[in-house]
Amino acid sequence: LGAALRIQAAVPATGCCVCRNWISTTPRLDYIQRRTRLRVVDNSELGRRAMEAGKPPRVMHVYGKKLKAATGDMVMVAILGQKRRGFIVGARRPEGPLRPQFDSNNLVLLNDEGQPLGNRILAPVPSFLRANRNPKLDYTKLLAIATKFV
Amino acid sequence: CSFSGFKVYPGRGRWLIRTDGKTFHFLNSKCERSHFQKKNPREVSWTVLYRRKHKKGQVEEAAKKKSRKSHKAIRAVAGLSMADLMAKRNQKPEFRKAQREQAVRNAKEKAKAKEAEKKAQKQAEAKQSRPAGQKQKAAKVMKPTAPRVGGKR
Repeated sequence: LGAALRIQAAVPATGCCVCRNWISTTPRLDYIQRRTRLRVVDNSELGRRAMEAGKPPRVMHVYGKKLKAATGDMVMVAILGQKRRGFIVGARRPEGPLRPQFDSNNLVLLNDEGQPLGNRILAPVPSFLRANRNPKLDYTKLLAIATKFV
Repeated sequence: CSFSGFKVYPGRGRWLIRTDGKTFHFLNSKCERSHFQKKNPREVSWTVLYRRKHKKGQVEEAAKKKSRKSHKAIRAVAGLSMADLMAKRNQKPEFRKAQREQAVRNAKEKAKAKEAEKKAQKQAEAKQSRPAGQKQKAAKVMKPTAPRVGGKR
């Protein structure tokens, strides 16, 4: 009786071929673009509330005439019903040689003048940002509040 | 490399920073994939950690190690100057034996003298306090009949 049951289980009940193993054939989707949810890594009030509420900020716009954002880019995010600027300090996408990749897409919130909202950045910040290459934003103050460089 | 333990030259491999802040360097995708498959490098035989744990190829290294000998310096002690120390050190065994025997003899003579003294004392005391001795004996007999604190009734 046990043998009979086993044979039955191997054949799908419906009779059609059911593909059990789905293998994703798309490449890694780790660009930061519109609708991407980010992780706030500073200690700003707004950021903390949003992350605790389970409503991470979503990218609305990437500054700099491009569609994809990476570490070192400024973005506009929607966070708890507000529009805020933010600066990306870590991305999941591998950067290149001698640059770290992170396990999460990290964001630091900025006010309209480009100054950070919080006064400390809790996640490690990649040290290649010290070159300060973003033409849209002078983020030296941001680097000043970073606790750990990597 | 955080997984294999090999050296990662600049420009090679990947560098990952986890959400908790831990950093991982991977030499190649083999190491990276093994890490994400949650393999323990101590169980993967080609990694440095495994080889260290199972002590592979370390016998040669151990043999090459030179054993260090500590040299004791003979220093003068508080009570003895250097010359006295050396003199004591260089005493012949016969001399030392003779010293020991002399010490033993002295001790024995002292003990004898003491015993003789004691005997003399006792005799003197006995002569003095003979009548009191009987009373003492009586007192001694009384002691065992002192009240019992506990035990059998």
